[in-house]
Amino acid sequence: MTSPGLPPSLPPPGTPPYPAPPPYAGPPPGTPPYAGPPPGTPPYAGPPPGTPPYAEPPPGWAPAGHPAGPPPGHPAGDPAAGLNTRQRLHPLSPLLKGAKSLVVIVAALSWQTLSQLGPTHFAMVVGALAIAVVIFSAIGWFNTGYQVIGRELRIAEGLVWRRNRAIPLDRLQAVELRRPLLAQLTGLAELRLEVVGGGKTEAPLAYLTVRDAAELRERLLALSGRTPAAVASPETGPAAGVAAAPAAPVPLYRVRNRDLLISQLLTPQAFFLPVGVAWVITQFAMESSWSFIGIASTVTAMAGVLLQPIRRVLSDWNFQLGRDRDRRLVLHYGLVETRNQVVPPHRVQTVRVTWPLLWRRSRWLTLRLDIAGYSGPEPGEDNSSDRLMPVGDLPTARGLVAAVLPGVDLTTLATSPPPLRARWLHPFGLRFYGAGLTPDVFVTRQGRITREMSLVPYARMQSVRVVQGPLQRRLGLATVYADTAGGRSGVAHDRDLAEAYAIAEQLEVRARQART
Amino acid sequence: MSEPYRTAVDALEPWPDTVQWRPVSSKLIVVELIGLAIWIAVLVAGLVAGWLIGGQSFWPWVIAGVLVLGAWRAVIEVRAVRAWGYAERDNDLLVRHGLLIRHLSIVPYARMQYVDVTAGPLERAFGLATVQLHTAAAASDARVPGLPPDEASRLRDRLTALGEDRAEGL
Repeated sequence: MTSPGLPPSLPPPGTPPYPAPPPYAGPPPGTPPYAGPPPGTPPYAGPPPGTPPYAEPPPGWAPAGHPAGPPPGHPAGDPAAGLNTRQRLHPLSPLLKGAKSLVVIVAALSWQTLSQLGPTHFAMVVGALAIAVVIFSAIGWFNTGYQVIGRELRIAEGLVWRRNRAIPLDRLQAVELRRPLLAQLTGLAELRLEVVGGGKTEAPLAYLTVRDAAELRERLLALSGRTPAAVASPETGPAAGVAAAPAAPVPLYRVRNRDLLISQLLTPQAFFLPVGVAWVITQFAMESSWSFIGIASTVTAMAGVLLQPIRRVLSDWNFQLGRDRDRRLVLHYGLVETRNQVVPPHRVQTVRVTWPLLWRRSRWLTLRLDIAGYSGPEPGEDNSSDRLMPVGDLPTARGLVAAVLPGVDLTTLATSPPPLRARWLHPFGLRFYGAGLTPDVFVTRQGRITREMSLVPYARMQSVRVVQGPLQRRLGLATVYADTAGGRSGVAHDRDLAEAYAIAEQLEVRARQART
Repeated sequence: MSEPYRTAVDALEPWPDTVQWRPVSSKLIVVELIGLAIWIAVLVAGLVAGWLIGGQSFWPWVIAGVLVLGAWRAVIEVRAVRAWGYAERDNDLLVRHGLLIRHLSIVPYARMQYVDVTAGPLERAFGLATVQLHTAAAASDARVPGLPPDEASRLRDRLTALGEDRAEGL
């Protein structure tokens, strides 16, 4: 009843579908240690060398008392206190934003326009647009401000259409510190807050100095804690002098860049590359016209195809995962644009495990996590900050899953396949489908080619659905969905109808128990 | 694996012993049928216009086909409205609907984010309203149409009260 696609350490055949919850006894002996930094791991967060020192407090910066009150022993003039008054973004922001728009403008003008206008006119058009964009951004900058009031972050922006928005911090799902290339060169960072209900990221604060951003993040996260005690704790740590640079988290995982490269070469897009190159060469051989525009357009088109693997490599480069004092996950990754993401432990909605076909020889898998607030699954969307492990082997994945969902052991998650008659719906690979109710998570598996497993913690489940289509009705089957706020559901395909209702009932009961 | 193809459970009657399903108002049938009739009328009017302008001999067949389809849909609608039901349990709201594709949703009150009560012009004319329960998951699907206004507001108030009582957010 178990799948050969899964590691051999799955329970033997005949395992009852819903085993009694065994007490989690920690990783078995012989498990490689996950905690503890491997030798040679550089110290974790904190601004990279070359970050310009924090210049000066902005005007209007006054050490007013903040809600929690400065903890004893804290240096007077706690920088976080200044957040109570209205703050501006960094003065360089309009330039950086303008540069960003410039790229978009150039892309929109395309090679065609360049060939029509000639380089000089093209440069003039781009220059004029750039100046307009920068002026526009500058006006926007002048009218944008943020401040922390109580347990809310308020952001005011806009000149013509004024918008004031208050973000209740107890709804904060995750905070991300992004540093695109230009921001890295200038020592700035963008702070992005994820709140449930927004289709997109709410309130990206672009740009702040790295130090300001880190401070603000620490403060927001502290305020988002559920108990007042949590508000004080992060600031009383030993690192109080270093203000908010989070004390080095315990590293859990670090991707091997070599594996990352190989794994992205083992994707369908990368396999397409030789075909594409051959096609281009034959095109040129047939027409023998080597115009600059032709080559440039072709290269751009090729880059479009290859973009996803390349983007993956760039964004997952040096991927590091750690856990800080408050058991929050700290993710840090990216080559050109570095991202530093903090996710409170109870904000993980789903963990998904994927075994792509081409990675199977290397016994690699990838882990993703869904957080409410990040927009749903959009292919090719580079904003999907959902990696938990870009590539790794099973023991590593097991350690990470245990760290993110305490008490869950990836290798002992038992699932049972749908009844045999479901083969009418899944002629191939019925045995790769399955569902199981384990003590802490609802486990579902699916997929013949790309094998996937999703783990939905009972405590994060929003609703349960049982759906039966016409074919399923003939076969007496039904599909059970466990919906989460992360946008994806755990799906138990084609269970026996009575079993589907039993699963739904169990999910409901377990979710209720997990909530209380 | 010689299980019987038909299990004893009915797709629309899970847990028959413990759950008291409440039907939606049968006036919803009329509302749905009027809505359907309007669509069919618009479609047939368009086709008749085509017939008058074009004059080919296949137009009457198309019109007849549309009418047959409409009649079949009408039968389905009637049965679908009868199949629609909801039940308030201690901790969750159950909603079932659909005939061709049967849905059963279980939404815990604790997960409720907000409740919508809506009524379209046709529904208002017949004194009906729709209550929809929203959770943080976009996939959640707990919509109860065809409720008399006082039942709709009772359900809404009960849901909000229970939701506040047990609110857990995320």
